[in-house]
Amino acid sequence: METTKAREVVQITLQVNGEAHTVEVEPRMLLADVIRHKLGLTGTHVGCEQGVCGACTVLVDGEPQRSCLMFAVQAQGHDITTIEGVTPESGLSPLQAAFQKHHGLQCGFCTPAMILTSEALLRKHPNPDEAQVREALSGNLCRCTGYQFIVDSVLDAAAQASKKEGQ
Amino acid sequence: MGNEVTVRSDVASKLRGETRYVADIHLPGELYGGVVRSPHAHARIVKVDVEKARAIPGVQAVLTADDVPGGAYGPTQFKDWNILAKDRVLFVGDEVVAVAATSEAALRAALAAVEVTYELLPAVLQPEEALAPGAPVVHDEQPDNRPMHVQLERGDVDAAFAKAHIIRGGRYTTNRIYQGHLEPIGVLANWSEEEGLTIWAPSHIPYRARETYAAAFGLPEDKVRIVVPPIGGSFGAKYVLKAHVIAAALAMAAKQPVRMVFDRYEDMLTAHPRVPLTIDIRIAADAEGRFLGKDVVVWGDAGARVYWSPNVMATACTRPDSLYHFGAVRAEGHLCYTNHSPTTCMRGFGNAEMLFAVESVIDEIADGLGIDPVEIRLRNIVRRGEVTIHGYQLDSCELEACLRQAAELSGWARRQALPPNRGLGVALGNHVSGYRGIDSRFEGSTAVARLRDDGRVEIETGEIDLGQGMSATYAAIAARVLEISVDSVIVKSGDTARYPFGIGTLASRSTVMGGNAVKLAAEQLRQQLTVFAQGEYGADVELIGGVVQSGGAAHSLAEVAARYRSRYAGDTLEVRASYRPETDFPGKDFYGNPSPAYPFAAHVAEVEVDPETGRVRVVGYWAVHDAGVVLNRTAAIGQVVGGVAQGIGWATMEDLVVAEGQVKNLSLLDYRMPGASDIPPVSVSFVEVPDPHGPFGAKSVGEVAIDPAPAAVANAIANAIGARGRHLPLSPERVWRLLHAEEEQR
Repeated sequence: METTKAREVVQITLQVNGEAHTVEVEPRMLLADVIRHKLGLTGTHVGCEQGVCGACTVLVDGEPQRSCLMFAVQAQGHDITTIEGVTPESGLSPLQAAFQKHHGLQCGFCTPAMILTSEALLRKHPNPDEAQVREALSGNLCRCTGYQFIVDSVLDAAAQASKKEGQ
Repeated sequence: MGNEVTVRSDVASKLRGETRYVADIHLPGELYGGVVRSPHAHARIVKVDVEKARAIPGVQAVLTADDVPGGAYGPTQFKDWNILAKDRVLFVGDEVVAVAATSEAALRAALAAVEVTYELLPAVLQPEEALAPGAPVVHDEQPDNRPMHVQLERGDVDAAFAKAHIIRGGRYTTNRIYQGHLEPIGVLANWSEEEGLTIWAPSHIPYRARETYAAAFGLPEDKVRIVVPPIGGSFGAKYVLKAHVIAAALAMAAKQPVRMVFDRYEDMLTAHPRVPLTIDIRIAADAEGRFLGKDVVVWGDAGARVYWSPNVMATACTRPDSLYHFGAVRAEGHLCYTNHSPTTCMRGFGNAEMLFAVESVIDEIADGLGIDPVEIRLRNIVRRGEVTIHGYQLDSCELEACLRQAAELSGWARRQALPPNRGLGVALGNHVSGYRGIDSRFEGSTAVARLRDDGRVEIETGEIDLGQGMSATYAAIAARVLEISVDSVIVKSGDTARYPFGIGTLASRSTVMGGNAVKLAAEQLRQQLTVFAQGEYGADVELIGGVVQSGGAAHSLAEVAARYRSRYAGDTLEVRASYRPETDFPGKDFYGNPSPAYPFAAHVAEVEVDPETGRVRVVGYWAVHDAGVVLNRTAAIGQVVGGVAQGIGWATMEDLVVAEGQVKNLSLLDYRMPGASDIPPVSVSFVEVPDPHGPFGAKSVGEVAIDPAPAAVANAIANAIGARGRHLPLSPERVWRLLHAEEEQR
């Protein structure tokens, strides 16, 4: 039997939510685990560790990425945004407020990733139609809601934003 | 910790990513716990060698069956659980050795270093095989492999079938469905001689968990405390679990906290899925489509231990008989031990399974007689004021209105003129609002209502919110009674050491059981508050709009609270009330009224089948529910849409595939659940008539939301392709085969 070997540790600097964090990690560590365990940002949830459920989604340079499919060392030099990075000091962001208004959540486990995926969608397509929203969210599993209220939340957030724009 | 929420705050913290699920909670000095599991469906344990594992640096505890209490225990009256396997392993995933270590790496190394020698034994993998003479015996105490045998007849079924104009039926099977909670199973356990066990466990029946774990270790119940963090989905998966017991055993042995959080592989490997049923069913009807008799034989695969499979079996054998007038009914149910991972409940609890068969057969009778499926149902459904064949007292029932409305909203008349490969299907459902048979000793719920220093009202309950909206509903009930703002009510639950006893969130209990208790407590608080205020301010006091008015002056509730404290040695005004429904325990004959209120639903599904691939797309869905008076509309709609989505996944795509006792698709990539593009917009409406027993007329909605869904989808597929699928899921391959059945036979 092999005994556990002393592990190599490397120092990396991650740009997370606009702040530089220097941490020591083993090269095998996943971005999700470093975000959760080294940075203490537990809003990123780990659901399957296989890139299927989407609960660990973060934004990497603005694009939704599975933080369970990325090594932390690979994330150096990129802008990482977690749910904590799109959440205002107090209260809710307009997108979060739309989720609250439309009850776009139940147990809440998939919710931060749904917010981030929707955020990225709306930045790219400020006025998506329902099919585009469903398509964009199709990589994020939710077992509670049946998606309808999540879709309603995103569409309403888009409508509110464009109404504001028009003023 | 526990679930402390104001109505809006728990939603906000979930949206902000601040909610701490069990995997986010840590204790100083915590160890990583893990389990060596059986790779075999059935084997004798010849030797367990843990010496190498014990020698690994960082390993703090290695436990075998010899190191833990050996008494049998269990969460129901069937006591067939152990803590670790001693002589035999009974299924793939059965727990043999438990390890706790200071790091994950040390844990993994130790788990790999444990050597278990097995001698393979013949396994029994099908319920019908389990009943055959000479079958391998799973538990020596149950040599016939049948922990439950239902036999029930009301009316003369043979005579009913003898005079039938038409009889339809056949063998239907339902699949092994994974609950699919997004948050994997996790637990954190701590032990101290003084306080006993504290277990942070996402369980929505924590008091039953406490009782079960106390029995496992021979501890008094007050030495076991269950703290319930927010739960990331359950649907029946997170009741009472061996993982909690093993983490506790490790914490006791290591004298350090132990956390155990499954990855998805282990979660699926050890999953306790929906009980798969094999259903032989016949329904007899006269020439006008009036049912004369129903006859079912059901085999259920309980797996190797009993969780809630007996309740599933009992429900399957009886519940649809209180939805339709079947005339005479007979049911035989064989719940069988097998060498599969134990199965248990999932939302719908046996009723949705049986309704898949019943509703399919009803459509076949309608086809055989040339009667419209909606019409034949209207001729046979139960109605308000009736006492059903098993004694259910229907003091409210808007099933007919639901069915008529579902037909209208869905444009049911289109069914005659749909394009090829399109189909519409209808199915009905019923359920309970709490089921007396869940606990033989008692039923009901207890709530505490308290006037806080800040003038807000705090409600404590033993029931658990899983995100379904229970706390918001309770707050709305208390606010309505006290005529205060719903934001001034805080609902607390989820700690067996702090909050009142509750049977927990199962059997669609929370709205009617817990809700009635909250209503009673709020009424008593209002009454005592008024009496106190009369003493303070005068006889004319009135509680209006969140303030106490007297003689033209208004006194805030915070002021009243301060006055109460000054009069009563700093104490706060609080009351405690129990709701005790007048229901009947369903004995061996399953007769009586087991619930105070019964919800109903009519669903219509529209599907499109791709004839090339057999793939089914659900393109439209209409759900009309009788949930009494709806107290929390958004939450209720959310329950229905979520239930329908699960039903669509169940009927068309999901199946834990087992072969030789091994689950073959242990990942979410191989076990596909519906995504946002797989679910159509679902139209949800309610027919609202108050139920006399529900709080402000409300009934349950959580489980009846899924009950008709698989059947509605199956009936729509049959309508689309002109052939009936009797085995779930109706996956593309199965549907393709149905489409090409004639060619295959040629």
